[in-house]
Formats: sequence, structure tokens, C-alpha cells
Amino acid sequence: MRHYIKISLLFAGILILSAQTPSTREYQLKAVFILNFTQFVEWPPNSFSSPQAPLVIGVLGKDPFGNYLEEVLSNEKINGHALVAHRYKSMEDIEKDCHVLYINLSESGKNEKIITNLKGVSILTVSDNPDFLKQGGMIRFYTKDNKIQLQINPEAAKSANLTISSKLLRLAEVITPKLKSK
Amino acid sequence: MKTVRFKYTPAMDQQHIYCRFSTFLLLMLLSLSLLPLSVKGQEDSLYQPSYLKKMSLEELMTIEVTSVSKKPEKLSEVASAIQVITQEDIRRSGATSIPEALRLAPNLQVAQLNSNAWIISARGFNAAFSNKLLVMIDGRTVYSPLFAGVFWDVQNVLLEDVERIEVISGPGGTLWGANAVNGIINIITKNTKDTKGLYASVAAGNFLKDFAALRFGGQIDSTFTYRVYIQQQDFNRTTLYPSGNDNNDAWGYTLGGFRTDWKPTATNSLMVQGNLYDGMQKTIPEKSPMSGQNALARWTHDFSERSSLSLQGYFDRTYRRDVPSTITDQLETYDLDLQHRFALGKHQNIVWGAGYRYMHDKTKNSTLFVGFVPPDRDMNLYSGFIQDEISAFNNHIKFTIGSKIQYYTFSDFSLQPSARLAWTPNIQHTVWAACSRAIRAPSRIDVDYNLPTYEVPPGFPNVNGGPNFVSEKVIAYEIGYRVQPVNNLLLSLAMFYNQYDDLYSVEALPGTLTFEIQNGTEGYSNGIEFYGRYEAFKTWKLRGGYTYFFKELRNKPNRTYDFAALGNDPEHQFLLQSILDLPANFQLDVTARYTSSRPNPYIIDYFTFDARLAYVFKQLEFSIVGQNLWQERHTEIGTTYIPQKFYAKLTCRF
Repeated sequence: MRHYIKISLLFAGILILSAQTPSTREYQLKAVFILNFTQFVEWPPNSFSSPQAPLVIGVLGKDPFGNYLEEVLSNEKINGHALVAHRYKSMEDIEKDCHVLYINLSESGKNEKIITNLKGVSILTVSDNPDFLKQGGMIRFYTKDNKIQLQINPEAAKSANLTISSKLLRLAEVITPKLKSK
Repeated sequence: MKTVRFKYTPAMDQQHIYCRFSTFLLLMLLSLSLLPLSVKGQEDSLYQPSYLKKMSLEELMTIEVTSVSKKPEKLSEVASAIQVITQEDIRRSGATSIPEALRLAPNLQVAQLNSNAWIISARGFNAAFSNKLLVMIDGRTVYSPLFAGVFWDVQNVLLEDVERIEVISGPGGTLWGANAVNGIINIITKNTKDTKGLYASVAAGNFLKDFAALRFGGQIDSTFTYRVYIQQQDFNRTTLYPSGNDNNDAWGYTLGGFRTDWKPTATNSLMVQGNLYDGMQKTIPEKSPMSGQNALARWTHDFSERSSLSLQGYFDRTYRRDVPSTITDQLETYDLDLQHRFALGKHQNIVWGAGYRYMHDKTKNSTLFVGFVPPDRDMNLYSGFIQDEISAFNNHIKFTIGSKIQYYTFSDFSLQPSARLAWTPNIQHTVWAACSRAIRAPSRIDVDYNLPTYEVPPGFPNVNGGPNFVSEKVIAYEIGYRVQPVNNLLLSLAMFYNQYDDLYSVEALPGTLTFEIQNGTEGYSNGIEFYGRYEAFKTWKLRGGYTYFFKELRNKPNRTYDFAALGNDPEHQFLLQSILDLPANFQLDVTARYTSSRPNPYIIDYFTFDARLAYVFKQLEFSIVGQNLWQERHTEIGTTYIPQKFYAKLTCRF
């Protein structure tokens, strides 16, 4: 019985510790990946309201990055555009001047709706969702052998007037989903 | 069997030291919970934005997401007491065989009986005929239907090519094959695409007499990879307890084989492997030979991310002539398994499967004193299972329900249902609970055992196998908690309560001296299994655990069997493995373990540790290993002294 008590004490201690845990290492890495994407993707000039307008990285749904995304983006500039992070609770909150959108919604059904809504808008969509590219998304993170890898659907990016550099495509698995009849 | 309850040994003087050690180890475990706070800053410095931002995309893609061994992903394992031994854990422990590697799972009870025999069980029932474990090597079942236990001396693989060993304590749920009553050991070797190149290693020492291994792996084209290997190992003898006289158990074997992996398209893969071994134990008056050959093929087809089909077949032949026990056994096994997984709507995954195994077993008794009657048996095992994995509340709740159905030559149809529930409030925490029923089907030693093998006149004592022996049964209740509070720490706690019925007994038929094998024992067990993995720094990893076990058996009404023979289990067990990279390419690794005393017959508790010092120079690795270093010799389960072992090893990997 003594051991039961000791073990439960041990676990109580760990629970308290874990409450303070910030974003996980996985999302710290992903935040840096997203920063890198901005260097390998070309947005049409009209997607910025002015040459000084910031490049907006949006996080839709639950935020897995915590403060880390801000830390990564601080003091970074791409072609004169400062990088900023915005958080969106729901689809309706997405601003017109968003450039990269990380979608973190548990219901993949909603993804499809979001992507349909964003049709023609020059937003680089990124997600972890396994069906993301099939639904028309552009970049998907997946984990292989405990390492983060990329899948890219260049067709989807093209139709949003985004140019993804071949440097980035070379590192990713290029996926071209069959066109759906609808 | 005579029962020695208490025997004085010189080692007993050290007993109070051992007791202090158990407290010491517990304190170490407790202090681990505080370490993350103090070193967290250091650990995270690697993940400072400024550091990562300097990296190219290529470099980012090579960074490991989790440093501690990955949490189980298969749903069937989420809600179970799974512990994983990785390739690195094995290599850095200095283990020379699968049983030694299994010591690294604190939820297993591993006892070395003599040079070539090991007693391994999960959740107790540690005895010479431990029989409630399912052991698989790359999907091939290796427990023997002769006694439903495992001949550990012939379960050898090239340890370098082992990817990981999954150890699940508790009933295997629905997915796993027969005999998964108290645990499953799943030894998984690497895909051949990960073993390209040459590996050569030689070692020699006082117990591991000589060891040589050679493996070559390559690829024919980008879809087809292969490896071939050969390994030879000889082990010294042990000494007898308590006399200290030499034991006649020195042994050795040669093992060789191949594996190919072919992935012609993205959705199809075919794995084929074959292994053969030949060994010899230096028993008296004659040597005891053993040999075996096996071949396995598995084809997997992915229909989609959530749907796949896998078909596996294997052949396995084992032969051993055991001179001391006067029994020769040759077993041929043919096995075919099908597994199909598919999604039913958004929230359900169905897995179902069917299997058939045919076993042809031939025994020969060199005396009439003891043996199997009839000597030969054909056995058929039909099995099927279906399981539904249901997820709800945004995957925070996962519920698995299913059942295995089995028909075996020695038992009728049996249902083995299980229900498992996992709650994952966030990525760091999993709370799970499970309830399952499992059976240990009768084996030949329960049904066909005879002493002597001829009819005796009335009034003469004899032992007969049980014509009415039925499966042993367990209902297991488990709860567990798994947490990864920070990236470099994984902790897991499992508690169980097992209720057993129809356990083995041997009793005289009323009014005669004819003893018959029956199901006259029942009882329960409970325990706690704690397991942790912690990467303190990139250069220092710790893993270990603690297992508490308690069991109480009783005779059914009017039965008189001495059930002590069913398991002589230690109450407490600790393990701590430290893997440390030193500057200048040195490695220093220590694995310490403690096993408390065993009650009946009384066996003193022991603490001991293994240490490994290695130096890596380019493709060469030179290591010296000492095993069981705490004292000159110790007993683990009673009949022999296990000595201190030393060896030196040279390995090259090209």
C-alpha cells in the first residue's frame, strides 16, 4: 500500500509540472517551417495593401504554437513586409489580408468548406490533416520516422495565384489529387 | 518437489544492503519528477527560435520531433500497459540474447535459470513452465504447444537488426493471437531498407565464450531491399546452487537467415524472411542438440489511409532432444493469417481477421519413466476476431470493443472479449481502462503427460495427463495513465486486478494413487507497473520502472494441490538504465536492477547491475561489458548461481 501512495504522489507532481508546459517541440519546429515557407512562396503584389503592409500568418482554430510563433516571426522581414501572427476563432474571422493560414480544426469536414470559401484568394493553406490535400489544401505536415515531412499540392497553390519555388517542391512529396466531379 | 522455506546463505548478510537499495531506487525515481524543472531550460535551448531559424529546410526535416520513444499510435495499444525497448536500449545495455534484452522491460519478470534456460513471465506465474505469454518474432508465434511456454535458448535474432521489442503486460485484447493471457512480447526486426551495408562484430569473454556476427544488406532497385546474416554464439556453464559444483549447461548455436522487403507500388508491400539455426547443449551423458528452420511471407495492401489488408503465412520446424529430461520433440507448424482493417463512417474503424494453424508434433521418450502418450499429435487451431474502434468527442474518447473466437484441438470454442476505453484530454495525457477475458488453452503437457508411460497395476503411484483438463481462464481489469508532461519525459502507470479460474493442479483421484492433471486452483493477483523514459540531455538518457506484484491462489473446495509450483513471484522489481554519451566518442552505460525475494521456495532478493564502456572511432566500435557486477555470483530462481560476466566486443558498421 505504501507504494501505491508514493507512486500517486509522484504522478501528482508530474501533473502539476505538465500544467505549465508550453507548445510542444513538434509545433516549435512547425512554426519555423512556416517562416521558411514565406521565403519560398511568391504572393501576387495585389495581396498586400501597401509595400509596407505586413505579411499575415493566421492560425485558425485551436492554437498549438503558443507564443512560440511570435518569437519565431519577430524581427523577420520578407521583401520589406514584416511578419505578424493573427489568431482566428472561426472561418468568419479570416481577414482579407491573411497570407498564410494554418488550419487546426478537429472536424475535417469544415476544412473543405473553408477551402471552398478561400477559392481564388491568395492564401497559402497549411494543415496537419491527413485529408487536407485531397480537400484542396496546399501544404500538409506529416511525421515520418519521427521527423516532420511535407506534402505539397502545387495545383492548388497555382489556382490561388501563388508560386511555390522549385526549391521547396524538391524537398516535399508532390501530390496532385484527382479532380473531383463537383 | 521439496520446499525449502528458509536457508541461510552467506549472501544473506548483505540483505540489509539490498533493502536500502530498493529505497534508494525509489528515491531516484521520485527525484526524476523534479529534474525536468531544473534542466528544462537547457533542453529547450536547442529549440530556441534563433537556433532553429538558422537551419535550412533540409536540416529542419531531419530533426526528430520527439526524443523519448514515441507514444503508441495503434489504437489497440493506446489503452494497454505497453512498454517499448528500442534498438538503442538493447545495444547500449550490452545484452547478448533476447532474454537479456527483455530484462530491459520492467513489466516482465525475467529470471535466468541456468546458462541456456530462462523463465520469463508478465504479471507473475514465474515458474519453470511459465505458460501465459504470447511471444512473436516478426509475426511468427514462438511459444511451444508442448507446454504453452517458450524455449528461450532457440529464440535468437541478430540483435543489431531488431528495431524494437514491444512488451504489453495484460491480456492482448482482441487483435493478438492465442495464449496472450498475461502478456505479449512482440519482437520486430528492421525493414531491410534500414539495414543496408555491412555489419560485422566479434566478442569474447568469460561467459559469452565467443560471438561472431556478420550481416550484409543491399538493394536490387529502389523497390527491393534485402539482407543476409549469420551469427554464432557460445556460452559458458553456470555453477550449481548451493554446492558450487559445475553445471553441465554450456551451450552454443549458429544462426543464419535472410529477409527481403519489396514495395512494388505505393500501396503494396511484400516481406519474406527465412531463418535456420543449429545448436548444442553440453549435457551429460550426451549432448542435447536443437535445430530449427522457419520461413515467413507477409503481403500488405493499403486501400486508403484507413483501410488495409494483410495476409501472412509461415512454416516453422523445431527439433530438440533434451537428454536430461529424456524427451525428444519435433514440431512442424503451418500458419495462415488474414487481417483486414477498414473505416466505417467517420468515427469507427473495424478490424477483423481469421487464422488457421496446423501443428504436427512428434515426441520420443528415451525411457518409460516419463513421456507423452500418445507420442504424436496433430493439432488444429482456428481463430477469428473482430474489433470496433469508436472515437467520439473530437477523438478525445476512444472506445474499443471486440472479441476473439478460438477453436483448438484441446479446447472447445472459446470467446475472449475485451473492452478498452481511452481518454486523451490533450496530446500529453492518456487515461485508459480495460476489461478482458482471456484463456490459456491446454497444452500437450497438460493432456498427454504420463509418468510412467505404461499402464501400472492398481496400488502403484502414477501421474496422468488430464483428459478433462480445460482452458485456464482470467478476467482482467486494468486502469492506466500515460503522460508526456514535457517533450523529453514519458511516464506510464498501469494497475491491474486479475481473477483466475480453472488453474492447473495435480491431484490423486479419490481412493487411488493415480494423480491426474486437473483444474483445481483459482485465485487472483494485482499489481502496479510503472515505467518512465527521460532524456535529461541530448547526451544522457534514463529509462526504468518499478513493478509491484501480489497474488493469492487457493484450492477449489476439496482440492489439495500445492499450487506453489505455479509461480514463485517476487513482490518488487526495479530497473534503471542510464545511457550516457561522454566526450571524445566514449559511451558509458549502466543498467541496474533489483528483484525482491521469492516466497516458495524462499529465494533471496538480489540487486545487481551491468555496465558498458564503449569507444566509437568512425565505423568501429569497441566496447567492454560487465554483467551482474554487484556480487561474484547470485541466484535468480534457485537451482544455479549466475556468475559475473565480462566480454569485450569489436563492431564495425559500413
